[in-house]
Amino acid sequence: MRILLVQPAPFECGRIGLENALWMSEPGALTAIAACVEGDHEVRIIDMRLEEADTLPRVLSSFKPDLVGVTCMTTDAYQAQAVLHCAKSILGEEVFTLLGGHHPTLVPEEHDFEYIDAICIGEGEDTFKELIDHLESGNSRQSLEEIDGLAFRRGAERVHTGKRSQARELDTFPTPARHLLDEYKGQYFFASAMNMAAIQTSRGCAFDCNFCAIWEFYERKVRFLSSKAIADQMEMCDEPFIFFLDDNFLTRPQRLVELCDEIETRGIKKFWMIQGRTDFVVENADLMRRMRDCGLMMVLSGFETNDAGTLEALRKDNTRENYIKAAELLNELSIITTGIFMAHPDFEAQDFDDLYAAINEMKITIPLVVINMPLPGTQSWRENQHKLLTKDARFFDLLHAVTPTKLPRREFYERYAAWNEATEASIDSSLSWRFMARRPRLMMAMRSGLKLFSQRREVLRMALNDPENYLRDEEGIIPEFPPSDPQETRQELVTEVVGV
Amino acid sequence: MSAILAEKDLIPQSTPDAPLLPTWLSELRDEVSAHPGVNHLLLSRLRTGRYTKGDYKVFGLQHYPMVGTFTRYMELLLLRAPSSEQKLWLAKVLVDEYGEGSDGDDHAKLYLRYLNSMGLVSGEEETTPLCSAVWEFIGIHLRICSEEPFLVGLGALGPGHEWAIPKMFNQIIPGLERAGMGYEERMYFDLHTEQDIEHANWMSQALAQLGQDEEARALVRRGALLSLGARFRFWTGVERCVVARRQPHSVDAVRRGILGSRRPDREESPGNRRDLRTAIQDHWAGKSWPVPLPSDSTLIEVSQ
Repeated sequence: MRILLVQPAPFECGRIGLENALWMSEPGALTAIAACVEGDHEVRIIDMRLEEADTLPRVLSSFKPDLVGVTCMTTDAYQAQAVLHCAKSILGEEVFTLLGGHHPTLVPEEHDFEYIDAICIGEGEDTFKELIDHLESGNSRQSLEEIDGLAFRRGAERVHTGKRSQARELDTFPTPARHLLDEYKGQYFFASAMNMAAIQTSRGCAFDCNFCAIWEFYERKVRFLSSKAIADQMEMCDEPFIFFLDDNFLTRPQRLVELCDEIETRGIKKFWMIQGRTDFVVENADLMRRMRDCGLMMVLSGFETNDAGTLEALRKDNTRENYIKAAELLNELSIITTGIFMAHPDFEAQDFDDLYAAINEMKITIPLVVINMPLPGTQSWRENQHKLLTKDARFFDLLHAVTPTKLPRREFYERYAAWNEATEASIDSSLSWRFMARRPRLMMAMRSGLKLFSQRREVLRMALNDPENYLRDEEGIIPEFPPSDPQETRQELVTEVVGV
Repeated sequence: MSAILAEKDLIPQSTPDAPLLPTWLSELRDEVSAHPGVNHLLLSRLRTGRYTKGDYKVFGLQHYPMVGTFTRYMELLLLRAPSSEQKLWLAKVLVDEYGEGSDGDDHAKLYLRYLNSMGLVSGEEETTPLCSAVWEFIGIHLRICSEEPFLVGLGALGPGHEWAIPKMFNQIIPGLERAGMGYEERMYFDLHTEQDIEHANWMSQALAQLGQDEEARALVRRGALLSLGARFRFWTGVERCVVARRQPHSVDAVRRGILGSRRPDREESPGNRRDLRTAIQDHWAGKSWPVPLPSDSTLIEVSQ
């Protein structure tokens, strides 16, 4: 079979967003499922984030795939649908269209369209392999009941075969087919770390924060790739930078000690970036130092809030003291900190000021302030659906307030858009000469990406710093809020906008 | 039958009402149906996304200038038709295009109705800067219909337009519906999914008779591909205008090609609809088109 796997763009070509200006990782989900079928089939991957709009129809016409598969999160849900619609439009009913990923798994009913033949629910590798085998054997595309982890249409009926068990050991999966991304080599990046590879070394998270759906997606189970397998994959990468895609890399210290052993024994010289919790950083200072010596260059952590009460409400199971200590320690080790902070829709003017002051105090190298929102599939979503002003997937990008704001929306966005300028001091005090002098090799490696990143940063800031940018996005979709009589009209408005 | 199949069927098939298409035309029909210009991602995005009336107004203001120019292409082509029989074929479509098929409302009036329902401010349709792709599209078609062999022009206006438009518009209509537009407001689009099927069938008969040898068929295909290549560029231009409305900063970023885009935009707007009308009149009077046009190979490569 000919199989085309597509990473959709998060938005239309040309739009500025975090995903094309700050951080773009390899489509790891696609290389992972491609590896499961590649030996027996002709597989191609196209990354629409790095392509012009004509590439997709051109590839569809020339490659003539038997199956088109797309993965998506929430914000790119409509773009993923557009890809599959385009595939059916060009190739007709003959092509099998498959949608997978986070958003379709958590809310498959939002993807019930005639141009989507099946939705892969949960982890994709085994489901995909079985589906391909089924179709390759000439079996009907309407008799997929035997394959776990699918939602599909059988005539007017919607069939859901149940979520597939996600117990398979990660080491038993084939190594992701990263060579299918060769034409995009050098184009994935985080900030000025250009030419970046991506490896996923674990799946799931043991914590249960109410704003995150990862633990629900993986049913509270966490599985790990062995240190040997991680080091094998690191050795296969030509790229100087590697992003470990794990939602929480910093867990099980022994595993990380073993990874450091492997890196040292094999002499792997890569710079790597991770996502992890600050409590782990604080509790494992020596290990953090050792990982720094083995190439760790950046830790992305959710700092969320400067307010202890809010932290508890988010079920973060962490403390502000840990945040402060972790930032201090990482700065001391010359490890870049990327801190995600949350502005809340009920913020008043002073709350913004306090948050920005707290960031500056912590000296975060790359502070990112997002807007707290009930993301589909999370506990927060279930509890706050009645407050939603829109269910438009594009707005769940952490940059828009999808619930009513306490401040008038314009003022809310004016205060929010100020975060870039207001936290300059944090960047300046973190990225000191001392910091850079300690890691000359890292600074040299990032030098080549500095020019392009500063250009991207400039346009990103132009977009993010402009409150009108958010309000223009909302025009015609989210009404001006609060109305003159909030109590009376709020429910009416919500009913009208969301249709609930 | 699924909606997708219904869309595909808008490209004329051999039906009892329509003559059996010869193989070459049938192949050309499939090529048009799969062309990136007919399946631009913007069209699928309009079908699947959540665009508002404000977005559709931006779309419409770029599209509107092209609405009134199809008859000009036909008039130019009519002059080049080699026989009175062919002139008659073209004249039949031309009469419909002048407005007979829509209760006396010509296309431009219908389109204004659509724009008004989007909240058009009077005069905006004249003063809105048009993206270079609009100028290119019109310039390319004026050139094809006045300079290229007759069959190239027929390929551009037949398969390139009449076969392509119903399928393209059928992707736009669900989005217009979702944005709250009723049949009356979007009638321009609905009519073109109905009326142009007749035109297309009828044009197919003409093409079947004229495409007697390989050389003639190649000319027809070339015309279709040139037109669809320009159409593709037009949709890309429209999409950038829609994005720029919400996010004006993106214009500069795209122009500088720093967001992963491999093909940065080039120029500022060459002018508005008034300027465009003057340019069309000047072209009629023999003056050259004021905007550089992409090469034929650039247009044809869109689908290669």
